[in-house]
Amino acid sequence: MEFVPVIVVPFVLALAIVPASQRLRPEHQGWGLAAVLAILFGWLLALLPTIGEQGAVSAAISWMPQIGLNLSLYADGLSVLFALVITGIGAAVMLYAGYYFEDARQVGRFFALLLAFTGSMLAVVMAGNLLTLFIAWELTSIVSFLLISFKGSDADARAGALQALIITGGGGLALLVGLLLAGTAAGTMELSDLLAKSDVLRSHPWYGAIAVLILAGSFSKSAQFPLHFWLPGAMAAPTPASAFLHSATMVKAGVYLLARLSPILGDTPLWNTVLPVVGLLTMLIGAAVALRQRDLKGILAYTTISQLGALVALIGLPEAAGIKAAMVGILAHALYKGALFLIVGAVDHATGTRNIDELGGLWRKMPALAGVTVVAGLSMAGVPPLFGFVAKETLLEAVIAEPLALAVVVLSATLTVAVAFRLIWDIFGGKSRARLPQEEHREHDSHHPYGDDAYDYSHIHTLPGPMTAAPGLLAGLSLIAGIGIGALVTPVVSLAIGKTVSLYLLPPDGINQAFVLSIAALAAGAAIFATRRVWLSWNLPGLPGGEQIYQYLVSRVEQIGDVLLRSQGGKIRYYLAAILLTVVALLSTAITRTTIIYPAEMMAGVASAADILEIVLLVLALVATLASILLERHLLAAMALGVAGYSIGGIFLLEPAPDVALVQFLIETLATVLIIIILARTSEEERRRAITRLWGQTNTGLKRDVLISVTLGVAVGFFALAAVNSRPTPNTIAAWHLENALPQVGVKDVVAGIITDFRGTDTLIEITVFGMAALGVLTMLARPNPGKTWSLFRRPETSESPIKDALQEDAERPEPVVYRSHFADPVTQLAAGLVLPFAMLIGLAHLLYAGAAPGDGFTAGVIGGLGVALWFVVYGYEETKRRLRWLHPGPLIGIGLTLAFANAILPLIFGREFLAFTPIDGFSLADIKLASTVLFEVGICLTVFGGVSAILEAISHPMEVEPL
Amino acid sequence: MNILFALATGIMFAMGVFQLLRRDLIKAGMGFYILFTAINLLFLAVGAYNGSVPAYVDASSRPAGQPSDPLVQALILTAIVISFGSYALLLGLIAVSSRRFKTVDSDELDQLKG
Repeated sequence: MEFVPVIVVPFVLALAIVPASQRLRPEHQGWGLAAVLAILFGWLLALLPTIGEQGAVSAAISWMPQIGLNLSLYADGLSVLFALVITGIGAAVMLYAGYYFEDARQVGRFFALLLAFTGSMLAVVMAGNLLTLFIAWELTSIVSFLLISFKGSDADARAGALQALIITGGGGLALLVGLLLAGTAAGTMELSDLLAKSDVLRSHPWYGAIAVLILAGSFSKSAQFPLHFWLPGAMAAPTPASAFLHSATMVKAGVYLLARLSPILGDTPLWNTVLPVVGLLTMLIGAAVALRQRDLKGILAYTTISQLGALVALIGLPEAAGIKAAMVGILAHALYKGALFLIVGAVDHATGTRNIDELGGLWRKMPALAGVTVVAGLSMAGVPPLFGFVAKETLLEAVIAEPLALAVVVLSATLTVAVAFRLIWDIFGGKSRARLPQEEHREHDSHHPYGDDAYDYSHIHTLPGPMTAAPGLLAGLSLIAGIGIGALVTPVVSLAIGKTVSLYLLPPDGINQAFVLSIAALAAGAAIFATRRVWLSWNLPGLPGGEQIYQYLVSRVEQIGDVLLRSQGGKIRYYLAAILLTVVALLSTAITRTTIIYPAEMMAGVASAADILEIVLLVLALVATLASILLERHLLAAMALGVAGYSIGGIFLLEPAPDVALVQFLIETLATVLIIIILARTSEEERRRAITRLWGQTNTGLKRDVLISVTLGVAVGFFALAAVNSRPTPNTIAAWHLENALPQVGVKDVVAGIITDFRGTDTLIEITVFGMAALGVLTMLARPNPGKTWSLFRRPETSESPIKDALQEDAERPEPVVYRSHFADPVTQLAAGLVLPFAMLIGLAHLLYAGAAPGDGFTAGVIGGLGVALWFVVYGYEETKRRLRWLHPGPLIGIGLTLAFANAILPLIFGREFLAFTPIDGFSLADIKLASTVLFEVGICLTVFGGVSAILEAISHPMEVEPL
Repeated sequence: MNILFALATGIMFAMGVFQLLRRDLIKAGMGFYILFTAINLLFLAVGAYNGSVPAYVDASSRPAGQPSDPLVQALILTAIVISFGSYALLLGLIAVSSRRFKTVDSDELDQLKG
């Protein structure tokens, strides 16, 4: 259990950072989050001895045991190696990102996404269950999508994000099927069980399908040829995100999965063929394409692809011969490539360009960054004594026996050396080619394809120290890890692969073949670098890849979409008619198969005087409804509708259902007030125009509408008959409710018992929906006035607030529609003043006697709301808001929902079930009984009261500004 | 008796659908409200008992007659409040679109046109 916080903390912080970032300076957020991740890093290091002793640590929470889904976590050496990379690189990236953004408002969102990613990625590497792993895996894809499209106004960013999501998401689907097959074949989804019976899958008839599907998922995530093309497109993400997700961690999730499953699935002819072939091909293509890229991030993306290819190939070597080199490669690559990405971001930040052709000679302006680049670049090239050299040595040693693989690796390494030299020299060395931003340059750069959202072209930037220090830290670690390889890296790698390995900087038994090849690659790479003027000018055709297929498929889907779009006429009525006709078609098939028997008691009909009254009311309701259809004036139609509603209320009363009748009367009143205010707000001219066209449709149109409504009415009528008929009267749950309300919930009012306890979850969800609907109305109609509105976290007032600008703009628009009260005379004002407190008293009474008398939390809330409604009608919006200062609908809804949920969740804390009933004994005053349900009723009351107030406030809000 | 409720439900539902299909958005909004009412009526009709007294129980005295079905009442009660919320949301939408597009005639709103 002791490592669970490592995963939980980033998720919690992701939620907390958004409100917090409105108060904290971006760099402080960066420092704070870097510190947190550094602590998590230390935490993971402290786990190492335990894992060394026990082999693995695990924790499990039963989630959905029916489908074998447990929230189980499992951390062994392999997990911790990846987790160390995630938290370590993450700390440097967080620190750096605090200084990266020009616009402080973006920082909170960025950090939230980065933290959500950190949590998801840690969950991937520490998942103890195949399904948990899959969920975390998909989470990383989604966060990656959000980060690539971080600058949503940029079409390239959106396209890149979508492409990445489709490729990795499609791979994810294959992975899901593969994992489900694997779980079914092995009979367990738990990773520890799977690892324990490692030979089950290899000999299973499904092995081929399982392996291919899981490989497809891993290859898509780790950008293997021919699915690699999404990774360069993902470079639209802010550079810190690219460094973190698209180089150091997320793209290695595929490698992790392969390494994780290789004991179960690996070492078969399929595995040992597909992985090396795909991996080596990717390695070579990536390195070759990187050489000729112009965009710095493009160069880094393709070298990352190349390195990922090497890792995949290593995992596919027979008898796990390459695992050691893969682990070393992951660590070395994360350190130098993470540093290089951060350097590129810093260069971009300072110069406003990422085009390598426009850069050069920067070492004079940024000597420290140049130094860091030399260290990171040389590690990438594989120069001793850096970590990258060790990684290349182990890689060469692993493939030394396979001539073809060795040739590909040496060739790719040579190309990588040339790329590394280009990065160092063509940015920092040589003549100063960098045209630092000046006025005329600015024009040019604002259309620059490689421009970054972080850059403000109006002035030359000095680099904040941490933007050099963060990559400097990673580069420094490359050096330290290289020199201290035996002491520092060996234990972690040994633990990760489960056997003791030896790592060394220089071969202990003299110069060996790998060492010679490594030095030869360096020399050849230097030669290629020296002749770059020649080959950069060559005009080479692009390589065909998956990208063409992807583009073709996307364009086909768009063509189909164009065809379908032609059926969209744009008239809402026709859409509605189409939907309803479909319903009719579906219902008609069901009705033909339904036989309705009419039992005698149903036909018994009128039995008492109450029944006669009920029939009268029913007819009245129907006639009033018909009147609301036929009446042309909106106001009259609304009144007719009100009559229908009251008649229904009367029927409820005769049922006898006093609680329902009460709420129906109150809500009907409110609804009538609501529509009258809405009518007052809509332009009369518009309404008159609409009314004149009301019956102006063609005869066919009218016939069609009548046909649809009659058919649906008949269908619903039949359904109602069937429902009435098939309710098993003698043994329904209703009897149980009647018997148990008093003993179990302590209420005399059975309806109240059902609402607050038996079906309490329904009520909980229902008031949540109501609250959301009310807030929705508020958001739509009453645009917040900055500074005046209630806000949980006060935003810092800045002079260049976009909201204020928007308001300024709106203020210039003509003709505000204002609802003014016509009732502002002293008598009505007095009435309003008196009614509200009385309404609240009546509401309180209903609340306290909810369990014993008609009325409950709903009634109380609506009665209070009616009091408020009178105020809005009498005083209008401004005056009401001024006089009723305590009335804050938003917080009221919030408090109400909190109380209701607290009542539901508190019992859980005391070890009882959700929504458990808790009576409070020993209290007796005027026949009032106290119990946990009272808390619930108060929550319902506050939510409903707040919601009704919110709706009223919204509809009477003066519409000074255009919404939307 | 219940058969009348079932019939009324059908008639009311038909009227609601007809109203919903009007091109005048305010009338269409009222159509929604009629549908809500119709459904509440249906709930009432499927109540298990033809009750003669409210669904109140008292430990000391047995009820004088058959209590009405409390379950359907609880369902209707929450449905009424939810309906009101949706109705308010719908009317709010109509008010917003009236101001934005200067019309309450749904045929003049052609933003959905392909």
